[in-house]
Amino acid sequence: MRVPVLKQGACLVAVFQPGLTDAELLALREDLSVRVGEHRARGVVLDVTALDLIDSFGARTLRGIALALRLRGAETVLVGIQPDVAFAMAQLGLTLEGVDTALDLEEGTALLSRRLAARRHNGR
Amino acid sequence: MGNTHWDDAGLPVLTDAERAGMRDFWDVYEENYDPIYEELMREVAQMPQFGAIVKRMPKEQLERQSREGRERGRAALLEGAWKPLLDDQRAQGAMYAAAGVRFREWFDLISGFNRLIVPALVKTYAADGDRLSRALLGFQRYIDVAMSVLGEAYLDTKEALIQKQQQAIQELSTPVLTVRDRMLLLPIIGVIDTRRARHLTQQLLQAIRANRAKVVVMDITGVPAVDSKVANHLLQTVEAARLMGATVVVTGLSADVAQALVTLGVDLQGLNTVGDLQGGLEEAERALGYRLALAGDGAGGDGHGKGRGNDGHAVPMLED
Repeated sequence: MRVPVLKQGACLVAVFQPGLTDAELLALREDLSVRVGEHRARGVVLDVTALDLIDSFGARTLRGIALALRLRGAETVLVGIQPDVAFAMAQLGLTLEGVDTALDLEEGTALLSRRLAARRHNGR
Repeated sequence: MGNTHWDDAGLPVLTDAERAGMRDFWDVYEENYDPIYEELMREVAQMPQFGAIVKRMPKEQLERQSREGRERGRAALLEGAWKPLLDDQRAQGAMYAAAGVRFREWFDLISGFNRLIVPALVKTYAADGDRLSRALLGFQRYIDVAMSVLGEAYLDTKEALIQKQQQAIQELSTPVLTVRDRMLLLPIIGVIDTRRARHLTQQLLQAIRANRAKVVVMDITGVPAVDSKVANHLLQTVEAARLMGATVVVTGLSADVAQALVTLGVDLQGLNTVGDLQGGLEEAERALGYRLALAGDGAGGDGHGKGRGNDGHAVPMLED
């Protein structure tokens, strides 16, 4: 498996490696969907700091992962999109609607814990 | 560039007649070199800008330039080795353009040269009308070649200057300011075109990462016209910032602009807009969890919410 997935408390952290292939990305979706259930994870951080390119397939699949994981009961945050990558994505109209984003891993986990606290607060 | 007058390397393409004419011209020029040179230098000394530069040059340097120029001219016109001559003219053009010599002074110089060389040519070849006209045409072609190279060097120099200035203006005109911890202000002033929008967005994204910003207030009070293209640029900037985890608040859309955009049918659903800069800053502070309270009498009065009025300072307090 090219994308290492680490367990961190109630969260899973997937750290993307440079040169990720489309097949590996699809495999990650499969892997995460299963693991979220196994670990009873409530949140997932997708760290794409190492990616210097996110194309339309990548953007669509990342969004797909977030939506699938939500159905499995976990919130997803995408972190570490580089300035150049963000700029190129905005120009191509790849806006990842409905997916939460944060600057880096630290921000992402902070956002997740706020989300999860709010969820507990609402009794969900 | 490759056409009937210039080859791909930027050297002139000459006919046999032109080559022969140039040789005849050069022979006459060499014969009369010293008197022509002295007379020309006298005229140059009268020219306002050329004169000033030549006066500052040491005598040896002038003589060396003249000698080398003569050798380069000989190599070009007699042996067809144009490159050293044209390279030198290009360098000179760039130098004199940078020194502020007006281009028209070159033409003044040429007309002085004309006045001196043409009678000499006519005198030498008076007996042979064909040869005379060939020599005159060859001479004219030589001047045309030299002046076009010089002119292009002038234009290139000026263009490089304009580009440098444009870059300077661009950098000056898009500051990204830190207002509070993790909060940036991007005041945009002037017309936004595609190039500027790109530059602006990239600067903002770099600043977001450098400052770990969460909220950005983008104030477009100083943007004179917002059409659908500009609106699209703004939307892209906002989207790119969101991908990096930052929220953008847009402020300063004037009443006219707002109505124009609605009339144009531009969809700005993706923009978080607040009327003025003050409102935008307040909104950004709220998003970061700041709450404003009055210092002094109003201190601790939590019920005040946002402090406003009196002369008290608004003090940001972290609400946790």
